[in-house]
Amino acid sequence: MNSSYWRKENLTSYCLAFIVLVFVCLWLKSLHIESSWQQAGLLNLSVGALMLSAHIIGKILKSFGLPLISGYIFTGILAGPYVSGFLSFDMVQRLGLINDLALSFIGLVAGGSLHLELLKKRIRPITFNVLFQAIIIFTAVFTFVNSLGQSFSFTQAISPVQLTALAIILGATAVARSPSSAIAVINECKAKGPFSETILSVTVAIDVLIIILFTVAMTVVRLLFAQTADAFHGAFFVVLIEIGLSVIAGIAMGKGISFFIENIREHLPLFLFFLAFGIARFSLAMSYLMETYMGFSIHLEPLLICMSAGFFVQNFTPSGFFFKNNLQKIEIPIYVLFFSVTGAHMNLQALSVTWPLALSLAGVRIFAILTASWLAGTLSGDLPQYNRVAWMGYITQAGVTIGLAQLAYRQFPEIALYISTVVLAIVLINEIIGPIALKMALYLSGEVKTNSN
Amino acid sequence: MKIFLALLIIILVVFGGYHLTFRQFKIPLFARTFYLSGLEFILLGVLLGPLFFNVLDENSIGGLEPLMALLLAWVGMLFGFQFEISILRRFPILQLLAAIGEGLVTLVLVFAGIYLTFGLFPEIPKNMKIIYSLALGAGAACTAQTGLALVASAHSIVNKDSLNLLRYISSIGGAGALIMYGFVFLLHPEPTSSVSFLYRIAIEVGNTIVACIGLLILYTLFLTKWRRSEELHLIIIGMAVLSSGMASVLNLSPLLLNFLMGFWLVNLSLEKERIFKFLISVEKPVYLMILVFLGAYFKLDSAWPLILAVSYIVFRSVGKFSGWFLVLALKPDSKKHNPKLGLALIDQGGLPLAILLDLLLGFRGEFTLIVVSTAIVAIVFNDIIGIYFQKRLFVVKSNE
Repeated sequence: MNSSYWRKENLTSYCLAFIVLVFVCLWLKSLHIESSWQQAGLLNLSVGALMLSAHIIGKILKSFGLPLISGYIFTGILAGPYVSGFLSFDMVQRLGLINDLALSFIGLVAGGSLHLELLKKRIRPITFNVLFQAIIIFTAVFTFVNSLGQSFSFTQAISPVQLTALAIILGATAVARSPSSAIAVINECKAKGPFSETILSVTVAIDVLIIILFTVAMTVVRLLFAQTADAFHGAFFVVLIEIGLSVIAGIAMGKGISFFIENIREHLPLFLFFLAFGIARFSLAMSYLMETYMGFSIHLEPLLICMSAGFFVQNFTPSGFFFKNNLQKIEIPIYVLFFSVTGAHMNLQALSVTWPLALSLAGVRIFAILTASWLAGTLSGDLPQYNRVAWMGYITQAGVTIGLAQLAYRQFPEIALYISTVVLAIVLINEIIGPIALKMALYLSGEVKTNSN
Repeated sequence: MKIFLALLIIILVVFGGYHLTFRQFKIPLFARTFYLSGLEFILLGVLLGPLFFNVLDENSIGGLEPLMALLLAWVGMLFGFQFEISILRRFPILQLLAAIGEGLVTLVLVFAGIYLTFGLFPEIPKNMKIIYSLALGAGAACTAQTGLALVASAHSIVNKDSLNLLRYISSIGGAGALIMYGFVFLLHPEPTSSVSFLYRIAIEVGNTIVACIGLLILYTLFLTKWRRSEELHLIIIGMAVLSSGMASVLNLSPLLLNFLMGFWLVNLSLEKERIFKFLISVEKPVYLMILVFLGAYFKLDSAWPLILAVSYIVFRSVGKFSGWFLVLALKPDSKKHNPKLGLALIDQGGLPLAILLDLLLGFRGEFTLIVVSTAIVAIVFNDIIGIYFQKRLFVVKSNE
């Protein structure tokens, strides 16, 4: 039996499974729900169906050369409240828990994928990329919005001060990346080498940098709106403390994981799963309790904690190999859930309202990424084959960007509507094209093992 | 926020408890028996529940119902995996019939006994009395496998043939009872329904058949090809979540529906070994979580309902004795076995507790809480004395 026949047969069984799944869901959704037990069942039914159909669509799209996560996101969009309504707004909200959990887990995977030896060798391109991308992307997006913002119908009525504030926030959010998408695509392709390691390291580093950059941006906007900016130094200092504490917490967590591996070993995937869940909730609870009882809060970043933990276990303990192997055992269910729920969160309404501005901004951002990555690659003496395609690896954006936009949304009601609508639309575009571009870049760089190489 | 805290605590307790109970402690058999009865996890659940610390309050428990449905689906599937026809056929058909018959005899006796005892509780509606009696009877028919396995492995034993027979009965006996338990869901009260009882039953049976067919087609389509472990795990988790949801939406039992799926997979799937390995890898944490949840639901305002527990223990003991006599009557080599061995079938194990949680979630209400709470008391009692009898009947004392 040749492989194309096998693939075709496999595809047929996936398509049939999808059809059966759709019929089962349509039938059950049409029933009258009365008790809380049935409500709970409806949630399980939706999550189960979402997982399985995301897996099926991911596999089908993969056979056309697209990344699995594009299939997961696409399924989420289809199932979400803006398209089919299979998942209601309330349900999507409740599934946000999965996002928190999965993001922490993905942090562990991302940290565990960084190898100190390789990082040391690639320190120049990584540093250049982080610096150039942060500066050039911010400047390009800021300049574009500030100078041409009022030409778009959506932002026509905005005042000049508000436009500058919006430009600053959009510039800062444009720098943010999606480590989860990057790690998922790199793992799916089993890409190995300096190119993929650089992309991952830059993405992770920018994820840390963006916290600082965004704090500075928020403070400047506060100044613009004549809100108090006395706390600038204080806020900056707090951010540094938060980052430092997150890294320390991550190291402690890494030590805990290493202890578990050396002494218990059994059920490690389950342990990591629950640990990730615990970290996500713990940091939120701590922030909430401090805010309530002390009047200020130090927000530990779960993603950063988990990245540090993964990095520590991989590079400073003998358990790195076992750790990574066990992570791989549960990463597929996590990715499927995370990206399909992310897809369900995608706001298509925002895109329909702001698509000219969103498309232009996405274009400007991509051009800025291209310039920055080419500059960084050239200055650090990277291979031309890497320089040509590096920009394709940095497009993805997801949860972190939306999270930042939500922060700004709460802080600045004057421009809240613009921020949330434009950012959601841009994220939607970048999250659709980003993974596809990254997968292409990995193949073009020659770091994906195929039958031919 | 509280629901997450509750879940975190449960996970921590279960995870830590599992490693302490099953892996770390090198303790004497009797103490281990106490731990293996799961009493400590039920007590932890009681402590976390509304009676004490209220970490698992009504809202939090309600929010965790999807997880409970998944746990029940997992247990059901695992139980279904014990019925691999090719293995069952290695034993004489009479032995199989005897094992199922033993369970059914216990079910009938406990059903009748409990139903009569419910005469003392006139405030419980008649249809609920039937439901409770049938569910308790089904749970009573089950026999724990852990205790017998522990006796078989830990000591020098006598009556090895009898012990093997009992282990066989303990693995099979609950099947008939679990299927009978499924009928409980046909009696589901629907206050808003205006259709006739028979029509409703026809609808429920039809729904069950359609749900089973849908799930079986999905399993077949997903498992026709060899899948990588990660993908297989995704499919199993996804299907378990989906089928638990289907069962709840249709007012069916997630336990029973997934028992049927497990039965199907073990007999027709080429991937049965890999699926079983995955399912069994989290078996104990799954059971322990069920115990904690049951503990959290535990509610006994007065000692009066404990009469139900006494009745349950008595009728079940009679049932197990009678069931054992049925086995002896059906087995041609019955003289080899001690007629008192019905006592070794007293230990109940985890499946009846899963049935109780299933009942609790499917038939919410004050009476259900009381019935389940008394049944928990009875089951824990049976587990503790059951293992004592097993030890008495099989273990050779070192100084003898």
